[in-house]
Amino acid sequence: MVMVDTRYLIVGGSAAGMAAAEAIRSVDPSGSVAILSEEIDAPYFRPMIPFLVSKKKEANQIYLAGQGPYQATDVELRLETKARSIQVEARQVVTENGDRLSYDRLLIATGSRPHIPSGIEGTATPGVFALRSLEDARQVSKRAELTEHAIMLGGGLLNLKAAFALLERNIKVTLVVNSPEVLSQLMEPQDAHLIRQALDDAGLRIITGANAVQIAADGEGVTSVILDNGAEVPCQMVCIGKGVVPNIEWVDKNDIRLEQGVVVDQNTRTNVPEIYAAGDVAVTFDPITGDSMMTGLWTNAVEMGRCAGTNMAGRETAYGGTFGILNATQVAAMPFVSMGIVHTKNTDYDTHTKSTPSSYRKLVFSPDADGSLVGALFIGDISKAGIYKSLIREKTDVSGFRKHLIDNSLHYGHLLCKEK
Amino acid sequence: MNQPKEIFARLDRCMGCHSCQLACAVAHSSSKLSYSALTEHPQPKSRLWIEWVAPDKSVPIVCRHCDDAPCMHACIAGAISRTEEHAVLTDKDKCIGCWTCVMVCPYGVIGRQMEEQKAYRCDRCPDLEEPACVSACPTKALVYQTVEDFSAAQRGAAAEELVSPQEG
Repeated sequence: MVMVDTRYLIVGGSAAGMAAAEAIRSVDPSGSVAILSEEIDAPYFRPMIPFLVSKKKEANQIYLAGQGPYQATDVELRLETKARSIQVEARQVVTENGDRLSYDRLLIATGSRPHIPSGIEGTATPGVFALRSLEDARQVSKRAELTEHAIMLGGGLLNLKAAFALLERNIKVTLVVNSPEVLSQLMEPQDAHLIRQALDDAGLRIITGANAVQIAADGEGVTSVILDNGAEVPCQMVCIGKGVVPNIEWVDKNDIRLEQGVVVDQNTRTNVPEIYAAGDVAVTFDPITGDSMMTGLWTNAVEMGRCAGTNMAGRETAYGGTFGILNATQVAAMPFVSMGIVHTKNTDYDTHTKSTPSSYRKLVFSPDADGSLVGALFIGDISKAGIYKSLIREKTDVSGFRKHLIDNSLHYGHLLCKEK
Repeated sequence: MNQPKEIFARLDRCMGCHSCQLACAVAHSSSKLSYSALTEHPQPKSRLWIEWVAPDKSVPIVCRHCDDAPCMHACIAGAISRTEEHAVLTDKDKCIGCWTCVMVCPYGVIGRQMEEQKAYRCDRCPDLEEPACVSACPTKALVYQTVEDFSAAQRGAAAEELVSPQEG
């Protein structure tokens, strides 16, 4: 019998798709691996694009190929190629150009795109952006040359990073947030005090509890944003950061099970055995609560993509799910990590907070008798955050060293000696 | 294939003298000299930690250069990669100080150089015969061996412990 090389096809050339290709190559050196990407750029580290706006990096410094774990060779990349449909019976993907690409194993990794709220008029105006792709970053950078004042709609991490990139270009920036405080997805308002102070100190103007209703423009593009409180704020640029929606429209729900995204099992496989999905487009689950959810995080997409690729290449691997909240970053010289369950208002979680002038910690324990750690928020001092992450994820029995968690003296030695 | 050597800790031998940490910081300073290293900016950092577990254990903790290396896959800047010698290294020039690696390292062994906003970790001293911490350890609590050699030595030691009382 002749062994025939497996044909792997990956639709989507970002975190999940590229991590999958890498994993496939590490297991199967001989099969053919092809990646379709609708972008004009070769795959790049998407979270790095604000650095193009701040001009701290050039595009050629953020491409994936040859950097970090992205070392696989012999992977075919088709740029500016959009998939139109999957012919499940024929095992083919049809592209927008009408090409038919055959596969033995297919990965759906088409990611997500910015959510543009329908309640805002004028979002198609020149000068209005949702920073998502490298090309978007180039356009934002170009528009920045004509911009004195930029308005960011949405107080999430993406917009904060974009805001700081613009501040570094000496542009005045105003952040408009519907919530009572910035970063409301990652922490509660009373937890955000230090970050808010750092943002204020850095010169970012913040308007909370307001929404944009209209973007006004002239021949040169955007001229102002009108808020639901009646205020009209002049600006030359608007960035919308209001979350993402998965790119699933090209997938036929009669063939492949869809909920909000593509539904997969614990091996990241869809209801069609040779078709897998990973990254922002896939529905995954939270190992703490068991709830199904979608994440939109680079690190999660990589982890899921690696798992999918390993399974596709024939090595069975289970995906352990991920937290909906799993963020580390530094804004305005203030590092922070938020992971697991950190919203505790009106819940019975056992919550411990500790505040100093330069740091803030919040640990969230399960209210059950076992009292396992379910969430952690560190601001200012994020040392050893990864130990806490693994305690949450592994639902480790922390009863023997709980006090070390609370008084911030925990180290790996406590776990090591516990095991003995 | 040549097995890479790794840094192993023999917990029963560590006295918590911190010689390894001093040697590590000096080895990663610009001058490589303990006196002038003291005044360098940014301050040279030790890349391993000696922790204390009550009542009587000191525990050396250092990067394990994991096979799966969650830090490497999580890095959003492509700053972490694996060398041919199997070490997982952080490229300081590429690091953007986002601390994602710190968030995913289950051992808590990635440090933060705050002056430069860069992550740092054990690099197994690629320019030295053996890592500086290992050379500096007065009780040989730290050893630099292949997994095979280390486990063989451990088995030998355990067997000796079982046998010798009977001989005595």
